[in-house]
Amino acid sequence: MRNLVGIFKSPPYLSFMLGTSFAMFASAVLLPNRALLVSLWTDPSIPLGDKITVPMSILGSIATNFSLLSASYVVVIAVLAGINAGLIVSLLRSGRPVWAGSSAGVVGIFSGILGIGCAACGSLILTAILGTTLGASIITVLPLRGGELGILGVVLLGAATYLLARQITKPLVCEITNTNI
Amino acid sequence: MEPESKKPNYAIPVAIIIAGVLIAAGVLMRNNPSIIWAGFSSQVEGNGAIGVENLDLLQPVVAQDHILGNPDAAVKVIEYADFECPYCKGFDVTMQRIMSEYGKDGRVAWIYRHFPLDQIHTKARREAVASECTAELGGQQAFWRFANRFYELTPSNDQTDIVTVLPQIARELGLNESQFASCLTSGKYDKHIEENYQNAIAIGGTGTPWNIIVAPNGKKYSLAGGQPYSAVRALIDIALQQK
Repeated sequence: MRNLVGIFKSPPYLSFMLGTSFAMFASAVLLPNRALLVSLWTDPSIPLGDKITVPMSILGSIATNFSLLSASYVVVIAVLAGINAGLIVSLLRSGRPVWAGSSAGVVGIFSGILGIGCAACGSLILTAILGTTLGASIITVLPLRGGELGILGVVLLGAATYLLARQITKPLVCEITNTNI
Repeated sequence: MEPESKKPNYAIPVAIIIAGVLIAAGVLMRNNPSIIWAGFSSQVEGNGAIGVENLDLLQPVVAQDHILGNPDAAVKVIEYADFECPYCKGFDVTMQRIMSEYGKDGRVAWIYRHFPLDQIHTKARREAVASECTAELGGQQAFWRFANRFYELTPSNDQTDIVTVLPQIARELGLNESQFASCLTSGKYDKHIEENYQNAIAIGGTGTPWNIIVAPNGKKYSLAGGQPYSAVRALIDIALQQK
């Protein structure tokens, strides 16, 4: 447990986790307007200040363009992804296995990303990938209109965090490899 | 003695491969949905693939459009909207604020086009027809009053009692109710609304509100979703500089 607390108190790890969380949050909120941002950033006639102002303003759409449910799991997924990333780096540096935790985490992040919405009505990432007609058709049969994927993402990331934290707190011992001896 | 891990750690490379495959599949399907969803891509008329932005296919603003403000404004905000979308409702308030700031001196015009998402909002297309009937019977001012009043009165997400609300708004706007009722069932605006819908998809719309901001030099910026006032204002300021 002391190892775990040490990771959260370590300034480099904390910065890394906060940075990852912010990157995850910003990606989720800015994703629906990626084409706009690319067109602004690649246009030399637009001043640098404007290139920064627009994405910063769009981050505010978490309040205007997401339902309470989707805004909640965007934030929770971002926080959990940051914690997961910090724990994985810590485990890798100590040479411990990260298999179960990181796998659940990766699946959780993907599930969460697929469920992000409603960033505009009908405009889930699922819709962007599958097309408006098919994406919207899938959404209609889901009681939470795609929110299920986000909730699944939160659950998987929660499980991943638990598995990784347990791995970190596990004492470093030489394990018996063959019980028949 | 150093502890040994019994299982080789393949998690990171496997995760990277899975991520790569998913991203590649997503990009492939996004850029050319017909590869995998041939049946669905055929539903789009014109040259646009589903979800791929091609703002060159934007239908130019014409007199028949619903235009609020100066039709010759330097910047035009074209909104593709769905009357049952709660984010369109919120964006309506944002655009009213934009128009009170930029519309009075004729710098910005707001154009409203229909993008009813039938799969999730079964009533939206009928409401779009009602708005067109309002424009026919009461003029352009009545269209905008219909839109504002509709958003004020209704809860969104297909929860609207259209049997009550549509005649109520028609009454409030002083429209001839029997003409309004017969217009609703006439089917005369079905083609126009479908053209709006197809154009929204052709230019890359996947949800509502889907907004295109057209600068004085013709450059177009897409803005997806019910964005906050600060984002719309920032983009309009950029567009105003593009002369």
